[in-house]
Amino acid sequence: MHPAARAENIDRMSRTRGVARSLAQGFTRSLALVALTGFAPAAWVAAGVFFSSLGHGPVATSGWTLGVVGACLVLFARPSCAATRGLVTRWTGVELPAAYRPVVPVTRMATGYWWNGYDYQRLRWVSVCQRWLLARTRDPASWRDVIWVLTAPLTVGVVAAAPLALITAGAVLLPASDPVAAVPAIGAGTALLPVAWRVVTPVARRFLGPSTVELLGTRIASLVQGRADLTRAQDAELHRIERDLHDGAQARLVAIGLSLGAAERLVDTDPAGTKVLLRQARETSLAALRDLRDLVHGIVPPVLLERGLVDAVRALAVDAPLRTEVRSTLEHRLETPVESALYFATSEIVTNAVKHSGGTAVDVTIDRTRTGVAITVSDDGRGGADKPAGSGLVGVESRLAALGGSLRVDSPPGGPTTVTVEVPCGSS
Amino acid sequence: MRIVVAEDLYLLRDGLVHLLEAHGHQVVAAVGDKPSTLRALAEHRPDVAVIDVRMPPTFTDDGLQAALEARRERPGLAVLVLSQHIEQLYARELLADGLGGVGYLLKDRVFEAEQFVEAVERVGRGGTSLDPAVVSKILGAGSTSPLDALTDRERDIIALMAEGLSNQAIAQRLYLSEGSISKYTTSIFTKLGITPDDNSNRRVLAVLAFLGAA
Repeated sequence: MHPAARAENIDRMSRTRGVARSLAQGFTRSLALVALTGFAPAAWVAAGVFFSSLGHGPVATSGWTLGVVGACLVLFARPSCAATRGLVTRWTGVELPAAYRPVVPVTRMATGYWWNGYDYQRLRWVSVCQRWLLARTRDPASWRDVIWVLTAPLTVGVVAAAPLALITAGAVLLPASDPVAAVPAIGAGTALLPVAWRVVTPVARRFLGPSTVELLGTRIASLVQGRADLTRAQDAELHRIERDLHDGAQARLVAIGLSLGAAERLVDTDPAGTKVLLRQARETSLAALRDLRDLVHGIVPPVLLERGLVDAVRALAVDAPLRTEVRSTLEHRLETPVESALYFATSEIVTNAVKHSGGTAVDVTIDRTRTGVAITVSDDGRGGADKPAGSGLVGVESRLAALGGSLRVDSPPGGPTTVTVEVPCGSS
Repeated sequence: MRIVVAEDLYLLRDGLVHLLEAHGHQVVAAVGDKPSTLRALAEHRPDVAVIDVRMPPTFTDDGLQAALEARRERPGLAVLVLSQHIEQLYARELLADGLGGVGYLLKDRVFEAEQFVEAVERVGRGGTSLDPAVVSKILGAGSTSPLDALTDRERDIIALMAEGLSNQAIAQRLYLSEGSISKYTTSIFTKLGITPDDNSNRRVLAVLAFLGAA
């Protein structure tokens, strides 16, 4: 066979195989969706038929049927939604996080009653059952699940069933009664097969994804948390400054005053002793200056105020014991809170690299991004770094979070470690 | 020496003027911000200028910028920069041209009147005077590459050189003969690759290497 013809042949074969695969995939997925969404209505219809067959009259029949419908909703809404979320994620990669309220552990209170997040109960198992039931009836996310179970059969179910129904009709029913209509029915069903199931994604996104209210709720919770962290951090900072001033410069100024007072009394009678006292006063004043300088450096490093972020990081690099390179594409100064937060973050990260990485060099890059500023600090050390609670990085993170920023650590075992800090900001 | 003093705090400026005049120097101008510093330097052409880093109008590093600008205009113009804090970065910028006549000290050093005036005079003669805080920071930070080749004794000597001490003063400080100090300095220059025919001040280049900027 001619090579070109052979290539064409192979091409055609692979295309045919692709079409076959997408048809098979469409078939199984449509079937899965029909089963998943049709299960509850089928159960309801079955219940209705069963109760009406008992012949207790319309009131009793509809009462019992509604009871089964309600029980179904409470029992199966969550698993059915979880299955749908799982399928959508597996098929399309679209993540649909469930936004149920967190489950509160059942705890015994001092009064001896059990608290489950909703109510107090005398018995533990009652409390557990109540929590189960209320989570399915009081949680807005559960109600959204119920809405899904009610609407999905009419939307996703109907659309997914359409190609299956057309093909079944064309292949089984029509040839007997109306053979002319059988071919277009099979054709239409086959054409629909690869696409019909896709309707699940937008519908699921609408009903199963987090609602705007839930998203806002999460956002508000994180803001409240951030604000509380920040207030605590500020308070701790003020206390530290107060303590440093009190134990440092303030105490030394008192000592200077004492020395000078003593010198004043001695000056006429004991010039030599006076000299000693004056020298003491001078030395103490030097120590006070040193204390103040360290304190000021901890609040705002002077070089940050004088030169801005990039030179402050350069100064940091110059002082660092590891070989530290700084590259920057930043042209203008940033707002001072952003500069401070980024500076202290970088300082902490570089310090960590020096202390723990075991590497020999650190690279710092400062870049303007589309939305703000990003600083990347990478070392050539052993990696495996994380953010243990109570480490300096956690404090850095909450300070960044207050500005809408973030901190990301990428440190596979064996290295290298790269820490990226990002803060959104307008240029100034 | 004819000296320009630039410091925005009146008390400190006055104190500096008195201190320098008491030691027989002539303060030709005492100013308090960047523009008048530049004007005074251009007008009086002093032997040395004593300049505070933080001054009006922006209260950032105006003094340092004035010093750097003035040295670009008049290479080798002797400046002694005073600050409440010491940055290696600034020290490098001041020394970068390799011409000497540079001092960079903490304000506290003014308390030691004799040593401070000596530092001013040394800078005025084209020497260098780096604050011991810069020097100890570098030694404390562990090894930086150009210094790895030096022996401990040579490191002691280059540190004192950075502070601005002459061979004679270093010899006194370390209880060694001046001859052996000059042997050590020659060895330091060789190890740092500083050749005798360089036009720049070899001691300044050695200090720059010490700062890790050469």
